[in-house]
Amino acid sequence: MEFPILAFRAELNAWLDAHHATLAPSYPPPGTLDDEVAQMQRVKSTLFDAGWMRWGWPERVGGFGGSPMLRTELGAALAGRGLADPGLFSLIEVLAPTLIDFATPELAADVVPRLLSGAEMWCQGFSEPGTGSDLASLSCRAAPDGDPHTASTWVVNGQKVWTSLAQYADRCVLLTRTGPADSRHRGITAFFVDMDTAGITIAPIEMINGVPEFAEVFFDDVVVPAERMLGELDGGWAVAMSILPFERSSCFWQRIAYLYRRLQLLVDASSDDDRTAETLGNAYLQLHELRARSRATQHRLADGAVLGPETSIDKVLVATAERAIYDAVLRLLPGVVETDDSVAGETWRTEYIYSRAATIYGGTAEVQRNIIARRLLDLGSDD
Amino acid sequence: MDAADRALLEKTVRDAIANARGPIDSTMDVDGVLVELGWLEMLETEPQSAIDIVFTALGTTNQTATALDDVVIAALGLEPSADLAVLLPRFATWDCPGRIRAGDVHAVGLTTSRINRVTTVVVVCESDAGLQRVLVPAVDADVSPVSGIDPDAGLNLVRIEHGAPDAAPLEATAWESTIAAGRRAVAHQIAGATRTMLDQARTHAIERVQFGRPIAKFQAVRHRLAEALVAVEALDATLTAAWDEPGPMTAALAKAAAGRAARIVATHCQQVLAGIGFTTDHPFHRFLKRSMALEGLFGSTDDIVVDIGHQLLAARAVPTLIEL
Repeated sequence: MEFPILAFRAELNAWLDAHHATLAPSYPPPGTLDDEVAQMQRVKSTLFDAGWMRWGWPERVGGFGGSPMLRTELGAALAGRGLADPGLFSLIEVLAPTLIDFATPELAADVVPRLLSGAEMWCQGFSEPGTGSDLASLSCRAAPDGDPHTASTWVVNGQKVWTSLAQYADRCVLLTRTGPADSRHRGITAFFVDMDTAGITIAPIEMINGVPEFAEVFFDDVVVPAERMLGELDGGWAVAMSILPFERSSCFWQRIAYLYRRLQLLVDASSDDDRTAETLGNAYLQLHELRARSRATQHRLADGAVLGPETSIDKVLVATAERAIYDAVLRLLPGVVETDDSVAGETWRTEYIYSRAATIYGGTAEVQRNIIARRLLDLGSDD
Repeated sequence: MDAADRALLEKTVRDAIANARGPIDSTMDVDGVLVELGWLEMLETEPQSAIDIVFTALGTTNQTATALDDVVIAALGLEPSADLAVLLPRFATWDCPGRIRAGDVHAVGLTTSRINRVTTVVVVCESDAGLQRVLVPAVDADVSPVSGIDPDAGLNLVRIEHGAPDAAPLEATAWESTIAAGRRAVAHQIAGATRTMLDQARTHAIERVQFGRPIAKFQAVRHRLAEALVAVEALDATLTAAWDEPGPMTAALAKAAAGRAARIVATHCQQVLAGIGFTTDHPFHRFLKRSMALEGLFGSTDDIVVDIGHQLLAARAVPTLIEL
């Protein structure tokens, strides 16, 4: 089914206006992580029942079809209205497409609707203590019970880290080492693991803003059925890479909508003088550059382009704009981040601290610049 | 126009402009080349492609033309012609250049070199009766060439004191949309200049060997060039947005993005070019100087940014401007 994006945006916004009271958080912002996760699942459930959560997803996984831009539009509307945190909500974009593209049709049809409707939470087990920017060096091992091509079960041993929301998750998209230790991207296999399986231990990590958004996840002889393999044996790198187009398009668009909302709150809280105007104008300019770039990227994706290293430009712009906005907060709201214990102060403080990670997560600023230099500027290898 | 036609047209225009004999006023200057290419017809039928392609080419080649007069004159609702020049705002401002007081025109602003070849100059004036466009005989203009940082930019400082003007009223928003048109064109030209500066620095980084290897191998150099490319690409995106959602704000943002990109690109590329980039043996300095001359047309980046900030504060609104 098709739903033109202009009509979708208009109808969605009218519906969100009409249902604001039932969708808005019941707790004062910023809320605890428990609050935010519960809020997100409640919003997803309501939106799934009303159909909005199903647009842009294939009909074979419970969607209504239509352009993936529809779900991007939804995520941006929720972020822009403060109904769901974009960092949490946009995890759908890096999880559901993996199942749709790499799980058996039966498994995808069974589980994707649970994610979309808020019945379940999932997490992404990629990073490891020894695997930061260099994902291909991961070592969490999956061993077959017998011959790898005919084994009915696999046994996982190892550790993941920076796993967002693992403590809430019912399932995990897990990357494991199935080839020799030095096989890098050629010897990785993806699995879809139930988080209540025996042998999984979760230890939340507190970030410097006090929020335990990430966790360490330990796997001790965790048995995974072979039918939970995603994609091919030793084909996990393709699974990991398939996420990039979504992470660099729809996830960014949601984050951008959120940043416009934060800048709006900063404008509301600021007085009108030249120094303030310069700071806000600069932040707005950087946000506009990012939005313009991200829009072009999403149109390319919708037109069938394969997104690649050029999205490192988008990533650099997101990180730079996010930091610019919170640098403006620090500059224009003196003492708020450092000393204001009101609800507003607590929110700005939490967000300000989180913004310092913008140049670190999802590929550091340095890794992005390495990619730009090698792949886009064609400067050759650096060794 | 499909992508292949477009690429061919871009190349044709760029090559023609690059090969034109400079400086201005020689037998076949860049303006003459533009006439042969059908610039005015294209400006009328496909203004976006015309302005994008021509001004980008002027930027990448560092050639000088007077096509900006045509863009501004068309934005004022007049028919551009080789015999019509226009008074632009003074450097680093976007105020209306003229006033009508007691029936007399008092104006000061910049022009391109076209002022020396035309019989008539268009002056936009504020007056008690609202915004007016005035046609003044060019012989009545006091023209001083601006040498400045880039004598080849062809700018002139022009003062006009003139009685009994041939005036006609303009819409109240005409100046705003004229500034927007000028800003888009100049931003394209700056975008072209940043592309060339980056090309020059990239080539140098690959060819220049120190400590036994090309300096392009050093991460410090690579990251500077990466930073420059990010700015260039961000500017391109704001220009696309400025055409997709044409208006004063998207044009102001594109011009500000251009100034920001020029500053970032020039800084990193000059550092990578190092010694050779500080000599006139290398063409880099022409692009640096031209981008500084263009920076002041229709307002400087810093002033535009402050103005945008005041607009956000006055409206208490942060418009998203462009949608999917």
